[in-house]
Amino acid sequence: MTAIVRRLPGLPPLLACLALLLAWQAFAHWAARGGVPDALSTVRELPLILGDRDSLGAIAESLRRMATGFAIALVVSVPLGLVMGRSRIAAALLDPLFMIAYPVPKAALMPLIMLWLGVGDASKLLVIVLGVSLPIIYHSAAGARGIEEKMLWSARAMGMGPVGRLTRVVLPAVLPEILVGCRTGIVLALITMITSEMIARQNGAGNILFSALDMAQYETVYAMILIVSALGIALDMLFEVLRARLTGWADDPHLIAAPPS
Amino acid sequence: MSATLTPPASAAPSGSTAPMIAIADLSKTFRRRDGGTHLALDRIALDVHEGEFVSILGPSGCGKSTLLYMVGGFVEPSSGTIAVGGRPVTGPGPDRGPVFQEFALFPWKTVLGNVAYGLREAGLGRSAAEAQARQLIERVGLKGYESFYPKELSGGMKQRVAIARTLAYGPAILLMDEPFGALDAHTRVRLQNELLGLWERDRKTVLFVTHAVDEAVFLSDRVVVMSRQPGRIKAIVPVDLPRPRRREELLLDPRYQRLVIDLEAMIEDPPEDLPA
Repeated sequence: MTAIVRRLPGLPPLLACLALLLAWQAFAHWAARGGVPDALSTVRELPLILGDRDSLGAIAESLRRMATGFAIALVVSVPLGLVMGRSRIAAALLDPLFMIAYPVPKAALMPLIMLWLGVGDASKLLVIVLGVSLPIIYHSAAGARGIEEKMLWSARAMGMGPVGRLTRVVLPAVLPEILVGCRTGIVLALITMITSEMIARQNGAGNILFSALDMAQYETVYAMILIVSALGIALDMLFEVLRARLTGWADDPHLIAAPPS
Repeated sequence: MSATLTPPASAAPSGSTAPMIAIADLSKTFRRRDGGTHLALDRIALDVHEGEFVSILGPSGCGKSTLLYMVGGFVEPSSGTIAVGGRPVTGPGPDRGPVFQEFALFPWKTVLGNVAYGLREAGLGRSAAEAQARQLIERVGLKGYESFYPKELSGGMKQRVAIARTLAYGPAILLMDEPFGALDAHTRVRLQNELLGLWERDRKTVLFVTHAVDEAVFLSDRVVVMSRQPGRIKAIVPVDLPRPRRREELLLDPRYQRLVIDLEAMIEDPPEDLPA
C-alpha cells in the first residue's frame, strides 16, 4: 500500500474527493429533501457556468478585484508591520488600534462602507483590503520583532544605515513570516470578496451565487461553491509553489512563526 | 575616510604608540524593571595595543559581553570613554568587526553571499567582491560550500562563515563574543586552532570574550579576569607562552598548566556580595 502511495502521491487525495462526492450523492439521494441537489447534477452544471461568457466574465471580475485588494493590502501592510515590529514608539501607538481592529468581522463593516463609498468597486475593494491587511501586518510585525538583533548589528558594523537595514536586512529576514501572513490573507481575500459581492450585489462570483439562491437554482449555487472552493485551493497551491521558491533558504515557517520565548 | 588620520600599520611599533583600544573609567548601568538600577560594569579601564590578542574572562553575568558591545558601538556606555585608534567610539563601524556566538548570518544569502556582503556594502563590484570572498572561504576551509545556505551548515561551519564574513571587509579589530560557546568540544578545539592560525598570519587586534579558561590561555597575549555584580576587572594576567602555539605542546607545558589553575581559582572565587 505504501509503495503504491509513494509511486502515485496524487492517489489518496483523489480517493478522498471521490469518497466525498459519493457521500454527497448518497446524502442527497436518501436523506435530504429539497434544496440539496445531488453531486452528479451539480457537477453537470459546472460546464454550463464555465462555458458561459457572462459567468466567466463575472468570475474574472471577482478575481481582478481580489488581486487588486490583495496587492494594495500587501503594499501598505508590510512596511507598516515591519515598522511596528522594529520601532517601540510605532508599536505603542499602533498596537492598540490593531488589537481593536483584529477581531472585527470586516464584512460586517460593508453596509457602513457602502454608505460612504456606494455599492461599486471601491467599497468591495476596501473590505478586501481590510480583511487581507490584518494578518499580513500581524505576521510582519511579529517577524520583525523576533529578528536576531546581532544580525542587525552585523549589518551596522558593515556601515549599513537604518533604511538599508529595514529594506535589506529586516525585510528579507522576515519574508518567510510575511508569506505565512499572505497565505492567510489569500483565504481572507476570497472570503471578503464573496461576502462583499453578496452584500453589494452588482456583479462577480458572489452575485451569481446569491442570485441563484434567490431563484432556488440550487444546482448553480452548489456548482458556484465548488468553483469558488477550487479557486481557493488553486490559489493556495500556486502560492505555496511561489513561497517555496522565495524562501527555500528558511527553516520551517511554522518554527519561525513561533519564536522561542 | 580615516586613512589620513590613522597611522599606517607599518609605523606602529608595539608598546610605544597610543593603544588601539583605550577604555577609561567605563561604567554601564541598566534600568531594572522594578524601577531600580543595576550596575553591570563598574569603572573599567583597559588598553589594548595593536596586534594584541586580549581575552576577557569571567563568569556569566559579569558584563564581559556588554563591555565588548560597547567597544563595538552597539551599546552606549553610561559613563566613561572608549577610543579606538585615538577616536571616541560613537557607533559601530567597519574598523571593528564583530563575531557573535549566535553566528548572526544572513540566512537568505548563500555562504558566498554572506562573505561578500560587507565588501559589496563597502562599494566593491559584484565580481571583485565575490573573488575576494572565495579566497576567504577557502582560507576558513569551506571551499566547495559557496552556494550553500546557512541552514544547511553545521554550527562550526556557520561560525567559519561568520568569521570569513567579518574578515572580508578588513576590520583592524576583531570583537569576538564567545564565538565558540555554542559549539561541541571537538569543533571548538578545531576552530580555536584555526583562529590562532589566521591570527598568527594577520596579527589583527582581537578582543575575545569567553568563560573558558583554557581557551583564553591558549589564544591570548593577556587575559582580563572579571568579577561579577558589579562587573569589575579583577586582574590582568599576561600569558608569556611562546608563539606559534601548538595545543599538544601547550597542554604539557607546566607554565600553561600553572596559568590555567591560577585563572580557574580566580574566577571560581565566590563573590562576597552574592544576593541571598
